Amino acid sequence: MDWGKTKFFLGEVFRNFTRNAAMQATAIGTVAVTIVLLGAFLFVRSMLAGIGTQVVSQFEVAVYVAPDATQKQIDAIQTSMRADPRVQSVTFVSKKDGLAALRAQLKGVVDASIVTSNPLPDKIRIKVKDPTTVPAVAASARRLAGVQNVVFAQTLVKQMLQIGSVLRAVGIGVIVVFVLVAGIIISNTIRLTVFARRREIAIMQLVGATNTYIRMPFICEGLLDGLLGSALALAILAIAKGALWPRLVSGLSAVSLDWKAANVDGTALALELLLVGALVGAIASWISVGRYLRT
Amino acid sequence: MISLRNVALAYPNGTRALDNVSLEIGKGEFVFLVGHSGTGKTSLLRILYREIAASGGEITVDGIRVDRLRRSRVPALRRHLGVVFQDFKLLSDKTVWENVAFAMQVTGAHTRDITRQVPRALDLVGLGHKARMYPGELSGGEQQRAAIARALVNNPKLLLCDEPTGNLDPTTTTEIMELLLRINLKGTTIVVATHNQAVVDRMRRRVVRMEDGRVVTDEERGYYYLGLGQDQILSG
Repeated sequence: MDWGKTKFFLGEVFRNFTRNAAMQATAIGTVAVTIVLLGAFLFVRSMLAGIGTQVVSQFEVAVYVAPDATQKQIDAIQTSMRADPRVQSVTFVSKKDGLAALRAQLKGVVDASIVTSNPLPDKIRIKVKDPTTVPAVAASARRLAGVQNVVFAQTLVKQMLQIGSVLRAVGIGVIVVFVLVAGIIISNTIRLTVFARRREIAIMQLVGATNTYIRMPFICEGLLDGLLGSALALAILAIAKGALWPRLVSGLSAVSLDWKAANVDGTALALELLLVGALVGAIASWISVGRYLRT
Repeated sequence: MISLRNVALAYPNGTRALDNVSLEIGKGEFVFLVGHSGTGKTSLLRILYREIAASGGEITVDGIRVDRLRRSRVPALRRHLGVVFQDFKLLSDKTVWENVAFAMQVTGAHTRDITRQVPRALDLVGLGHKARMYPGELSGGEQQRAAIARALVNNPKLLLCDEPTGNLDPTTTTEIMELLLRINLKGTTIVVATHNQAVVDRMRRRVVRMEDGRVVTDEERGYYYLGLGQDQILSG
């Protein structure tokens, strides 16, 4: 490695960067705003997705056993459901246990002592691994002998799954728009710095510098704009999350959710945003220098 | 060193800047390119270093077929020649040393070679003692010397000069021309486009005269005006 060459190159990048300090600040600021919006959006999206998965994973299929079913049939239902690869767990709830649970649930609300006989059937609770398979598992349970009825939150499951896919589709659109906006802004900033250095570029071309060589400092400049902008955005996002997250959790404490699991992996998101910022900066400046070199 | 055959250059607006130009310039020659403004002197130089592409004809510079040169190979051509302009084209925020070194740095030269060749080029043009000064602190003649040092630092075999003394007073002009002659004596081929009658008439070198984009005369030891010495113009 030729240290002199490296020093010259870094010097060029640094000079470029500091010469148009005001312009760089504008670019970094705008990138930061864009990335903050993008980051906040991604955060909320993955949080909602996390909550959605949790809610959906609580969905279970309840198989009600016919009153005239034999013990053999009941065992057969359980064995067959356990053998199903989509099924996570199978729990048998006898009519006695079911009544006890109901009593406990209604305690203090209704005087449960009025219930003297037990109207409840035996029940088999089935949890599935993937919420999208709930309807299919329910359908296959319905075909088994000794089953009176199969119940699951059909519309709710459907809606949750739908919301999930809509969020994903909208999300991709929003991300594309944000990234494009950031790209255009960086590209314009770089075009201004290219314009400011057009004499230098002309002389470089005159003495036989390759286009790649001329491009490199500008690419680095764009990269730096993108990186600094997203770093600033990450700082803002981290502060905002620190301030808002506890309030959100305490405000919604009534909702029975595992909030820890609904929290988003900040490190992965931060790395993604940094990468997006850097890439957008580099690509945008590649394009805007290219326009100047084609003379 | 330079060979042009039936070279034409037409601008998009229809102007014919060069019209069927054929010219041979050998290794180590010193050639003046004369003619009024707008007769194609600058255009001729520009197609030699591929600032613009000719619209027809064959162009060979130092063995490179310029008319067939792909855009990506243009930098390679530029490293075979040096170009000097009327307005020097120095970078005002770099010192003389940095300006000259710049021409090597941007071609990816090793620092070792740069530190060896830059002082050599500066000494050749007599600017060794002003290496640390900025172009704004130099006289016009000194700035042109710096520009010549930059053009020569990569040791090209060909030096193209477009009105190199256009902004300089007569004394400085003489000094610059003497410098070019010295460089020529070391073997570098030199082509100078100029308006300066006094210079051409005093130096008595090969003179290629252009009119309306065509080469009209080509004399071995010529004068600025066809067949006339300066003394004849003055007396007649």
